[in-house]
Amino acid sequence: MGKQNTIVKENIRRLLLRLELWFAPLLLIVPLAVSLTFVRDWFIRGVCTGSSEFDGELFIGMIILVGNALVDIPFLRSIRLLRKKE
Amino acid sequence: MTTKDALHITKQKMTVYQRELLERMNAIEVDAHWFRRAFHAFAASFLFYYLLPDEEWVTIAKILLPAIIVACMVVVEYQRLRGDVDHQRFFGLRSYEKKRPASYLYFGVAVLLLFVFFPQQIAIPCILCASFTDPVIGESRHYLGKKRAYLLGFFVSFFLFLGTWYRADGWVLILVPFVGAAAAVIGEARKFRYLDDDFMIQMLPAVIILLLWQGLLLMQIDILPPPVIYPVSL
Repeated sequence: MGKQNTIVKENIRRLLLRLELWFAPLLLIVPLAVSLTFVRDWFIRGVCTGSSEFDGELFIGMIILVGNALVDIPFLRSIRLLRKKE
Repeated sequence: MTTKDALHITKQKMTVYQRELLERMNAIEVDAHWFRRAFHAFAASFLFYYLLPDEEWVTIAKILLPAIIVACMVVVEYQRLRGDVDHQRFFGLRSYEKKRPASYLYFGVAVLLLFVFFPQQIAIPCILCASFTDPVIGESRHYLGKKRAYLLGFFVSFFLFLGTWYRADGWVLILVPFVGAAAAVIGEARKFRYLDDDFMIQMLPAVIILLLWQGLLLMQIDILPPPVIYPVSL
């Protein structure tokens, strides 16, 4: 039991050093949230009030969404592929 | 079987399960190449900065917080270069970054300068160019060759500047994206000894367009379009 606890602690220590595993969900979720915030803001303050002043926010939101999707999909596939190889 | 035995067996099974789960998670490998690309694209999220309200305390925080983050990055990089922090811990760093500040620091410094000293109409397309044009050029270089990759990068940057300056007057709509895109590609293509391309791809177009704007302002011509992103109100 003591040996198992040591192994668990060692695994947790190694995991804490794997910064890329902590960053990876952030890299995927934050751009999605930010882009949807921009699009939502465009809709609420622009479309609902009939103002075209906020159309730039739609552009920014779509650029962030599409741009990140183009990169994040190969990124996710690369993680899966490496696991499959094992 | 007594309750104590059942609890003991359950605890053993949970420990085994926990160990297996941790081992599986540690076995996950992240591809460094795509990790860097994803990190670049992630940086476009910093534009959320311009949505933050214009209240007094928020404005102070908007200057202080990025400055503190960049200062922390400087400290971390200093320690890494001194050898106090293991280089291996920094996933995705390139081999040439072992003995010089990593590109993420240059990126952060450029973003901070853009936020503090440049209007958003100039800062936004420059940050977008660093976030997307740089990876586009990097990826397409393998398939299209250098020249075509830079040409593609030019058109991507042109599109980003065009989208940000879409409310400008006719001739400005051609001039500024052209100048901005050209400067962004030059900033990416030319290798500077002490400045990373992640810094130059942002600062070179920003400085040139700022000078253009200010120069034309002296002739009573204001080319700056209305803002793209409006702060939310509390």
